[in-house]
Amino acid sequence: MKNLTRKTLILTLAALFCFAAVSLAQKSPKDKFVFGPLNPIKLPQIEKVELANGLTLYLVEDHDYPTIDMRAMVRTGSVYEPADKIGLAAVCGQALRTGGTQTKTGDEIDKELETLAATVETGIGQTSGYIMISVLKEDVDHALAILADILMNPAFREEKIELAKIQQRTTISRRNDNIMPIAFREFTKLVYGKDSPYARSTEYSTIAAITRQDLVDFYKAYFYPNNTIMAVWGDFDSKAMAGKIKQTLGQWKPGKVVIPPLPKVDYAYKYTVNFISKPDVNQSNILIGHIGGLMDNPDYPALSVMNSILSFDRMFKKIRTDEGLAYAVWGDYEANYRHPGIFSSGAQTKSESTVYAIELMLKEMKRITEQEVTDQELSKAKDTYLNSYVFNFDSRAQIVNRLMTYAYFGYPLDFMEKVKAGVEKVTKADVLRVAKEYLKPDKVQILVVGKEADFDKPLKTFGEVNVIDITIPPPPQPPPQKK
Amino acid sequence: MRFKKIVVLKLLFFFALSLVLLHSLPAQTFDTMKKQVKVHTLSNGMKFIVLERHEAPVVSFHVYADVGSANEVAGITGISHILEHMAFKGTKIVGTKDYAAESKILDEVDALYDDIKREKAKPQPDAAKIKELEENFAALEKKAKEYVINNEYFDMMMKEGDQGVNAYTSNDATQYINSLPSNKVEFWMAMTSDRFLHPVFREFYKEKDVVMEERRLGLETQPMGKLLEDFYATAFKAHPYHHDVVGHMSDLQAITRKDVHDYFQKYYSPSNLTVGIVGDVNPEEAFRLAELYFNRIPSGPKPEPIRTIEPEQWGERHVTVEAKSQPILIVGYHHPDVRSKDTNALDALANIMGRGRSSRLYQVLVKDKKVAVNVVGINGFPGDKFPNLVAFYAMPSTGHTSAECLDLIEAEVEKIKQELVTPEELTKFKRGAVKSYINQMKANDNMAALLTYADVVQGDWTQLFDQIQEINAVTADDVKRVANAYLFKKNRTVGEIVPEKGS
Repeated sequence: MKNLTRKTLILTLAALFCFAAVSLAQKSPKDKFVFGPLNPIKLPQIEKVELANGLTLYLVEDHDYPTIDMRAMVRTGSVYEPADKIGLAAVCGQALRTGGTQTKTGDEIDKELETLAATVETGIGQTSGYIMISVLKEDVDHALAILADILMNPAFREEKIELAKIQQRTTISRRNDNIMPIAFREFTKLVYGKDSPYARSTEYSTIAAITRQDLVDFYKAYFYPNNTIMAVWGDFDSKAMAGKIKQTLGQWKPGKVVIPPLPKVDYAYKYTVNFISKPDVNQSNILIGHIGGLMDNPDYPALSVMNSILSFDRMFKKIRTDEGLAYAVWGDYEANYRHPGIFSSGAQTKSESTVYAIELMLKEMKRITEQEVTDQELSKAKDTYLNSYVFNFDSRAQIVNRLMTYAYFGYPLDFMEKVKAGVEKVTKADVLRVAKEYLKPDKVQILVVGKEADFDKPLKTFGEVNVIDITIPPPPQPPPQKK
Repeated sequence: MRFKKIVVLKLLFFFALSLVLLHSLPAQTFDTMKKQVKVHTLSNGMKFIVLERHEAPVVSFHVYADVGSANEVAGITGISHILEHMAFKGTKIVGTKDYAAESKILDEVDALYDDIKREKAKPQPDAAKIKELEENFAALEKKAKEYVINNEYFDMMMKEGDQGVNAYTSNDATQYINSLPSNKVEFWMAMTSDRFLHPVFREFYKEKDVVMEERRLGLETQPMGKLLEDFYATAFKAHPYHHDVVGHMSDLQAITRKDVHDYFQKYYSPSNLTVGIVGDVNPEEAFRLAELYFNRIPSGPKPEPIRTIEPEQWGERHVTVEAKSQPILIVGYHHPDVRSKDTNALDALANIMGRGRSSRLYQVLVKDKKVAVNVVGINGFPGDKFPNLVAFYAMPSTGHTSAECLDLIEAEVEKIKQELVTPEELTKFKRGAVKSYINQMKANDNMAALLTYADVVQGDWTQLFDQIQEINAVTADDVKRVANAYLFKKNRTVGEIVPEKGS
């Protein structure tokens, strides 16, 4: 009796389960969906290896594809170049790769690598230098050998320095040809200061002042294994790969490195209205904002939620969808790892709606500092973040590079999990609090690039206008020849 | 005894297998993936291509509509792209508080718009009447807006974690992408089938304004954008590759909601839609859900293919765009579509001529003569479903001219027609192509895009994998042959930006 009842029960339950698992009717998009549990996220094993010369490696195996990639960060940056030689770091980073080595010219290296479809690159950005390798796995030994040669015996041949300088000069001559780069460049200068290492532009004079010795000195100041961390991912055995790197880059000699502190940013909030004339366009580029912040601010999770709402639910929905005024429009309080970011709200709108668009953007900026966001806005912003969180783990490349970046900037390796925990707790009151504290709609800097003759109203509607002259300073004249 | 024999056989098998693996590593990757792909076509013609892989609990979805700006005729240029925007505006269910009430007002708004157009088109339009009509129009739009739930489609998708919700339109296709956590496949099915079953093109006129801003942003305010628009118009006198995807401003202003509805009916029948799904998904379950959700879309005829074929050029063509900009040069030559037997040799040609620092044009123009800071060879321009262009682009260095760049490009073109390319150059192209495909295939969203493109444009999804062999089979003779077949003056169009006074 007992057995029969149990058997019946089990069969009934099984039948019910099968019936429930198979939907027989289509759900409407707005029906309640009950989502099954998410399959587990596979966290890859990351091997950390520190070589005797100080080079730190983070290795992750990936046997799905026959490729190997490496990306290293070197503690350096254009922020450390002298003010009279702006562009030095970029030229150094480029010439390091293109200038060849003691035994091979840059052209020979280019050909050797490209025939293998192997990529080996170096460069220097604002707050870090990078080295990268990308190869089909059978070429990794070859690529490592070339990279080691480049890093240990760079030749910095004059011919390639001159080529890099030609590119820099050409970039300078073209820097006012397109409206958006003008707007971003000049807005960055307004926020950080035009002479700030985070904003300053290369000029013909600064490029001319760079000598080969400058490049060599810059390379010698920073390019050491003990000043470099490297992420390595692909189809290899970690131990064997570490061995290969040890054999090649392990020969790279360590050196004494003095890293200057990152330049400070001393921002004084002020309300300014700025204009750059570009009479050949029929659409204005608008940027409004001030200084941003740092990611290790405990308010970063709340600010992230605020950004999501400000950008999409406020700026996009109002200025793009409701008003049809712009294709791209946003509001974003940017936070960087070690130097403050920029808070900006931007849009591009036809000349005839320039002032109207700015008024709407300012209104939205003010609104989020005055009223709490709605329950719906808050839950959607949090759900968007939390439900897409899994995508942070969709490739090993992403995982290991993130780890390396946190290590480089001295952030805890579980930083992202901490942010997630923070986002989970954010309330409407938090969003209002951080909006009030960090956004200053009355003390923004407004920049408009465009054709003022076609504006709906004069820009001075917003206050006294500072006209910015972006004429490119001419190249330095050669000294007069002595007879 | 029997046991021992089996063990030995197994060992031999694995040994042989490892030998094979060692020498055909990329082939193994492609073969493995190819075997994993499963395909199912619904009775209404809609095709689903699914690749299951479990790196992470996520799935990417790619809806490929076989319609792009190449399907457009004068008067409705830009409509494929407008329709793409409209596909985010919701349906009878999504994006509205009350469709029944809303739809009446939308019809009235459209009727008023037609009245305004008609009045404006008169030889002597009545300004007062137009003003009144426009005021009524604005008031009605406002009334219609009361029923709208702003961007509800986006909100619903993003709320569920849709990382990649977006779409893009090209000359050849309109493609819709989503990436969701893998426990939300049915949610995607419900939202997407609804989206293409009964879309409602609400907020139409405002969204046209957005598209016009997009045209200004990407084209009218950018010297390069202007150059490309005029370059296509010059290279293509007949075929619809001659207009930019975003369309002409006057057409954008004139296109009606009915135009878009008709275009949707014509080009979005299920037989014209192909779906790629890649990630942590069970193919059988995906097909079951696809049947359940998408088979209710009524089948329709496949649209008539476009009629116009670009004829041969009767002479070299040249176009200049004056702009406040430093010079830029593009040179393009006509050749057949991507299904042609010449396609891989043409890719090889573009690569050898202009990809990478060791490419011929870069070596001569940038390194040796220093007349350019960058020079690139591209193929499949602006699209590749139809006969298109192989093109070379050069950015002259300060103090140098497009003419100097063109002279050197011509010299290299002549050279590649006379002499065979080297084995190293061919290897560079082949290995580069293989590596590029491998890298693209790593990401679910890219893989879904590749699968659908291969199926629709190349003729079969298997071609994505089979083409690797074809790429590896390209010879130096092939490259010489295509260089001679297509790189001649009569077949070329030259476009350049010429600095306006005061640039």
